[in-house]
Amino acid sequence: MHSFIQLSILVLLLPLLSFVLLIFFNRRLPRGGDFIGIGLLGATFSIAAYLFWQVVVVAYDPAFRIAWDFTWIDFGNVPGVGPLEIKMGIMIDNLTVIMLAMVTLISLLVHIYSTGYMHGETYYGRFFAYLGIFTFSMLGIVLSDNLFAIYIFWELVGLSSYLLIGFYFHKDSAADAQKKAFLTNRVGDIGMWLGILILYSQFHTFGYEEIFQHIKAGEFHMSQAWLTAAGILLFMGCVGKSAQFPLHVWLPDAMEGPTPVSALIHAATMVAAGVYFVGRIFPILTPDALMVIAFVGAFTAFMAATIAITQHDIKRVLAYSTVSQLGYMVLGLGVGAYSAGLFHLLTHAFFKACLFLGSGAIIHAMHHEQDMRWMGGLWKKMPWTFATFTIATLALAGLPLTSGFMSKDAILAGALGYAEVEGGGLFYLIPVLGFFSAMLTAFYMGRQIWLVFFGQSRTHLKPADPHHHDEHGHEGHHEVHEVAWNMRLPLVVLATLSVFAVYSPDPLDGAKGWFMHLVQTPQTAVLATTSHDAPAGDHAILHDPASPTVAGAHHAGAAGLLAEAEVHADVHHVTDAVHGADDAHHGPTFDDPRQAAIAHAAHANHYNAITYSTIMVASGITLALIFYVFGFISPEKTAQRIRPLYLYSFNKWYWDEIYNATFIRGSLLLARIFSWFDSNIIDGVVNGVGALVRRLGRMSGNIDRYIVDGAVNFTAFFVQSSGAILKKAQTGKVQTYVVMVLLAVTAYVIYYILQLQP
Amino acid sequence: MLSLIVFLPIIAGLIIVALPASQKQLIRLVTLLAAVAQGVVAVLIWQGYDPSIAGITAAADGSLLGAFQFVERMNWITLDLGSLGTLNIEYFLGVDGLSITMVLLTALISIIGVLSSWPIKKQVKGYFILYNLLSTAMMGCFVALDFFLFYVFWELMLLPMYFLIGIWGGPNREYAAIKFFLYTLFGSVFMLLVMIGLYFSVIDPATGQNTFSLVAMADQANYIPGSIFGPESVTWRYAAFIVLFIGFAIKVPMFPFHTWLPDAHVEAPTPISVILAGVLLKLGTYGMMRINFPLFPEVFQASLYVIGVLGAINIIYGAFCALAQLDLKKMVAYSSISHMGYVLLGLAAANSEGMTGALYQMFNHGTITAMLFLLVGVIYDRAHTRDIEKFGGLATYMPVYAGLVTVAWFASLGLPGLSGFISEAFVFVGAFSSEVTRNIAIVSVLGIVFGAAYLLWSLQRMFLGKRRPDAVYELHTGPDGQERIHFHDWKGKLDLDGRELAMLVPLTIIIIVLGVYPMPVMGLMTSSINKLVEVLSPVLMTAVH
Repeated sequence: MHSFIQLSILVLLLPLLSFVLLIFFNRRLPRGGDFIGIGLLGATFSIAAYLFWQVVVVAYDPAFRIAWDFTWIDFGNVPGVGPLEIKMGIMIDNLTVIMLAMVTLISLLVHIYSTGYMHGETYYGRFFAYLGIFTFSMLGIVLSDNLFAIYIFWELVGLSSYLLIGFYFHKDSAADAQKKAFLTNRVGDIGMWLGILILYSQFHTFGYEEIFQHIKAGEFHMSQAWLTAAGILLFMGCVGKSAQFPLHVWLPDAMEGPTPVSALIHAATMVAAGVYFVGRIFPILTPDALMVIAFVGAFTAFMAATIAITQHDIKRVLAYSTVSQLGYMVLGLGVGAYSAGLFHLLTHAFFKACLFLGSGAIIHAMHHEQDMRWMGGLWKKMPWTFATFTIATLALAGLPLTSGFMSKDAILAGALGYAEVEGGGLFYLIPVLGFFSAMLTAFYMGRQIWLVFFGQSRTHLKPADPHHHDEHGHEGHHEVHEVAWNMRLPLVVLATLSVFAVYSPDPLDGAKGWFMHLVQTPQTAVLATTSHDAPAGDHAILHDPASPTVAGAHHAGAAGLLAEAEVHADVHHVTDAVHGADDAHHGPTFDDPRQAAIAHAAHANHYNAITYSTIMVASGITLALIFYVFGFISPEKTAQRIRPLYLYSFNKWYWDEIYNATFIRGSLLLARIFSWFDSNIIDGVVNGVGALVRRLGRMSGNIDRYIVDGAVNFTAFFVQSSGAILKKAQTGKVQTYVVMVLLAVTAYVIYYILQLQP
Repeated sequence: MLSLIVFLPIIAGLIIVALPASQKQLIRLVTLLAAVAQGVVAVLIWQGYDPSIAGITAAADGSLLGAFQFVERMNWITLDLGSLGTLNIEYFLGVDGLSITMVLLTALISIIGVLSSWPIKKQVKGYFILYNLLSTAMMGCFVALDFFLFYVFWELMLLPMYFLIGIWGGPNREYAAIKFFLYTLFGSVFMLLVMIGLYFSVIDPATGQNTFSLVAMADQANYIPGSIFGPESVTWRYAAFIVLFIGFAIKVPMFPFHTWLPDAHVEAPTPISVILAGVLLKLGTYGMMRINFPLFPEVFQASLYVIGVLGAINIIYGAFCALAQLDLKKMVAYSSISHMGYVLLGLAAANSEGMTGALYQMFNHGTITAMLFLLVGVIYDRAHTRDIEKFGGLATYMPVYAGLVTVAWFASLGLPGLSGFISEAFVFVGAFSSEVTRNIAIVSVLGIVFGAAYLLWSLQRMFLGKRRPDAVYELHTGPDGQERIHFHDWKGKLDLDGRELAMLVPLTIIIIVLGVYPMPVMGLMTSSINKLVEVLSPVLMTAVH
């Protein structure tokens, strides 16, 4: 076993150990055992940092990859399949190592931060236990080498999320939110599960690498539509976990959890797991599946941004911002800007964690006030928080010199390139929504910064709430202080990681940095589009190597698309000449012409993207300034003037109401109908049969009593009565007998004659 | 060995008959001792069992010893029927991968059941005699390899079960007991006819005589051409399959023969619910795997779609019915119906993944549902109600109980890392891999969502939030400012006591261990399942005919 594998197993298991120790012993340990959690997470992070150093800094090899597995379930010699084993294992490549470092670092910072934020909570120790099981599950997602394992950890992060959202379980809103989060995720998960089943049913393996090899070798024997379906279904897992439309509704409610949890799980790591997963399965995604992914991402980015601009709750704004940014990442992967999407995952993790922890510091300092309308003027009182929050905001808005600028622009450049290669038209909706969302992002973050930190304090404007009891016993909200070092340190670290220099020497081009060098778009494994350049032997099973276009035609309209893509590829070879030398170290060369064309087009659009997005961001900030700083236009009056639109945004496009009225009510109604059916119809039949049998019993009883017994009694009666009648005939007189005989004979003769009549 | 494990409880029962009824504690201890001894024997059998030997039918060379383990075989009843020949009934026990899994489960649940019976106060002597009788009958069913012997044990279960529900049950116990009794009897009467028909259709290749041996019956080569269930007697074979299937399906219970189950559970005392859900339901699907399917493989192949659809109905219909329940125990009963649907679906897949999933699900459902019913019993003992809407906020006041409920509930909804997930996962893997049941699998995944829905909703209503205004418990603030709760007339410990933990903790450990590493149990069954799939496969059947 490679020493990296051993270390990664340690990375995986230490947080689990933290969970086990803390869940059983937190009440018996001083300080709820938080030092155990922090100590073990510190060790975990140190190991992850060592791996990061070895792999990213020392090796610096885009092709780095080591794997290890063991037999988990042995099915023996299965009829029709042969020996069948289900394996579990670990796969480490550059992306894995980067994710390990990111997850453990943010988890460690959140642990430290929570010693301040959660201080004095009833279930303080339990909180750290839950953080432990979350970190374990999340690292499991990152390290898994197969679909079954990732599904296991996928559900386990769902469990940790459930537990942490409902940390204040005595609040009904928290209990509602945790249930909603789990169930919404399950809807996504059944899609993901079906996607896994499609792939398993073909190859009898769950391993990523085996599946890619089989698909590349053309051994997917169902139709291409099933492969597209598999891709879209697997993506459904991401739709749930990464809160994409239409399953985004749980994430804003998840803010019921403590704020450190929002930072760790619902901003930086778990919600990004969906994006990571799409990245892992990227090679099997067909062009159709990718198109669906791109549109879902673009729409989500836009929709969530339109909601974020009207929310009052500081965490809700950030929550919708998270949904929107996740939409960007998904969009990025959908348009084939693989490294850009994952790059944004990384940069977003740091600056969004910083924003959430910053908002937590504000909420903590403001004694659990979350409404931005009653904040204001905090920059002087909380300078550290203000400074770090602002840096992270700039990164989120995508201003130059920040990390977010580089990653977001790489995505938008990819979107432009994709629209170009796909032939424009409706496909331009993807970059357009992306750019428009960039403007909205700048606007709502400008609004937030202004409402929270600038102007005068508005705490006194808050309408008195008769039911409101100040839990902390503070009189009023006047005393606002900067938070202590244990909450400040994480902010500073995360803000530092939001600066461009960490990722790339060139503030305008993330592609020159280490991330995009090490995490490069993988070759697609999908057969129909690899037909041209891949070695002919690969397709010997399905296709005649002499006529590659036959293979191409498998994909609907593939011939035309390929021809077009090649033209584009040629065009961009020319454009590349203009860009000159820096193209040399850019990305891999693709066997697949379509992939190559998109990569070239994306690269060509790099400076277009920078230009457009800077314009959009600038206009977003300007709008925020006009509304909130200079007050040229009153936000309230504008809201009045466009009231329906305002309400539409404020009420989150009414998705909750729609789902409530349809799916939830529908399910409950169906449950009642089935239950009624069960106790009335089915049991009715059962009881009816029972009653029928009883009645039959009674009837047969009656038959017994009246007919059988009756027959017996009747016979007796008949014999008796006929005897009585006949007795009277026994007169003893011969004449009577003679008359009777005569009568009988006459009767017989008459009868006989009548018989003879024809 | 097997005779010992079957008859240990009945020996205990006989000892109890001799004991005076006032010696309640002694009666309980004797029963517990027998159950623990049974458990020890089960572990010994488990240790001595060679999982590479397949079972199901005789070995390729025709030898029985090469196929089944711990075999005990002797003539039991020989009757001369004159012109009809002789009736040979054997005392024939043995285990293969199908039965050893169930033997382990039965031994485990029997011990748990005794512990759970501790608080029974009414007619203790009678109760434990019947309990031991039930225990013997269950174990006997799983190890019998002679159809007649199986039938004897099968019918023997009815009697104690009827009285255990009918005497020690809830207010509506007589209705429930009679319903259970009649339903099951209805199924088994027809089974008797098929059994006799089979006897005259099958010869034991070793003796050349007619036989009740299930091992001989599982090999289509042993059927006499021209007999009632002979190879060409298509109509009779279909009829027999359907009759047997209904007989076993009632026990599962399968829609639409399931309504006895919620009633029986609601009325039965906790230990009997545990046994009923933990073991008895498995007899239905075990009977299908041991008798119904391998005896009529070609009819089984023709019925896959129907069985799959019925499984899917169980899964989804059961989940929706559970969602509507307000009685916690009834909800758990419907969840059993839903989860046994996965077993049917896995069987309908007719491949190794699906059938392994099904058998593993039988084991896991046994442990998980046992735990669910025990947990329902805990709150019913304290509150004397099971109305889900009469609590609220219990997690604050009974943290250990709430913790174990969370584990059990999540095990039931199929959380990975807990055993139920693996079995359900492989049921789906198998069902989707089979082209016959693929569409059914696609529909059935809805069960994953709705299963989570009713469990999480009940969890929320009872344990999360705050005390409901009409809750059955009272809230006090203690002198230290801590809130405490109090159940009317409950004198015991508020949170779980030692006896309750002794039942729940082992089950929790088993559920977690088998959820992380399933091979200790799954490894026992794989070769047998592979053999069963082969016996049932259409390829082999065409080779025989």
